[in-house]
Amino acid sequence: MKARIALSLAALLFAGPLLAQAKTSLAAIPKGQLLLPEMAGLADKASESVTVTLDSQLLGFASRFLNPEDPDEAAAKKIVSSLTGIYVRKFTFDTDYAYPKADIDGIRRQLSAPGWSQLVEARSKKEQTNVDVYMLVDGGKARGLAIISSEPREFAVVNIVGSIDLEQLHELEGKFGVPDMQIESGKKPAPAPAPKESSKPRTQ
Amino acid sequence: MNEVEELLRRALRRVEPPEGFAERLVRALPQVTPANVMALRAARKATPVSAWRRFSAPAALAASLLVAVFTGQHLATLKAEREEQAGLAASRELMQALRVTSQKLDLAYEAVQRPAPAPTAEEENRS
Repeated sequence: MKARIALSLAALLFAGPLLAQAKTSLAAIPKGQLLLPEMAGLADKASESVTVTLDSQLLGFASRFLNPEDPDEAAAKKIVSSLTGIYVRKFTFDTDYAYPKADIDGIRRQLSAPGWSQLVEARSKKEQTNVDVYMLVDGGKARGLAIISSEPREFAVVNIVGSIDLEQLHELEGKFGVPDMQIESGKKPAPAPAPKESSKPRTQ
Repeated sequence: MNEVEELLRRALRRVEPPEGFAERLVRALPQVTPANVMALRAARKATPVSAWRRFSAPAALAASLLVAVFTGQHLATLKAEREEQAGLAASRELMQALRVTSQKLDLAYEAVQRPAPAPTAEEENRS
């Protein structure tokens, strides 16, 4: 009995600092940043994988080496100046649904936390493509952007952390192959002729 | 016992040297420098100190300084090169991340652009 009590006390003694450490590490994660799993197993299975982890320090370092003469890189430099992190996990497979859905669900659960709002939920039955765009708004400012895209042979998560200005996002449009989403102009985009997919734009 | 002590005391008593003893002694000493000292002096004069021997220590010091300076410069260049390579790799990663982001935003945009599917005949009848 005494041994059990001693063991319990020891466990409590050790658990306290561990819990405190876990709390501290969670508190250190900036608002808008998701805890993306390493997904090392997926990278082994994938035919192609892109894993980008750029925290604020690395972003600053990387942006110093962007060529201001190149229009794409100049635009990127401007966008990156207000960001504190970019995290990308993208995996392409040779077979359908080779990735575990539990990973996606785990990330989606984080996006159900207060502050996150879903901007777009697009489901295409024809192409079996799902795209979800979320944004974390804090104090009237966008602090984080998350995109989860899943296709039969591709799975991608993008997490952009920092003061995301929609105007800057607008600047991103038209670059890197992104068309103008007409966020601010309010113009309605021309309708496409294929009405076979469902999409739910959820503008806040 | 007292006699023995008395004898010893007499024998060991302090005796002052006769006058002029010290001067006579110094005069009596040989005036010639010992042979080994002479030989050493002669040997030193015979072998001239070479320039290499004279400047070897400063030269070694200068060489060490030069080596240190060049090594430092080389290391600094290597560090700068490594930093540049890492920076270029990071910038490539950044551009790749932005490209992936734009691709996915593209997908979302396309999905938003598409009009909602037309209701089926069954759905129309229900309404």
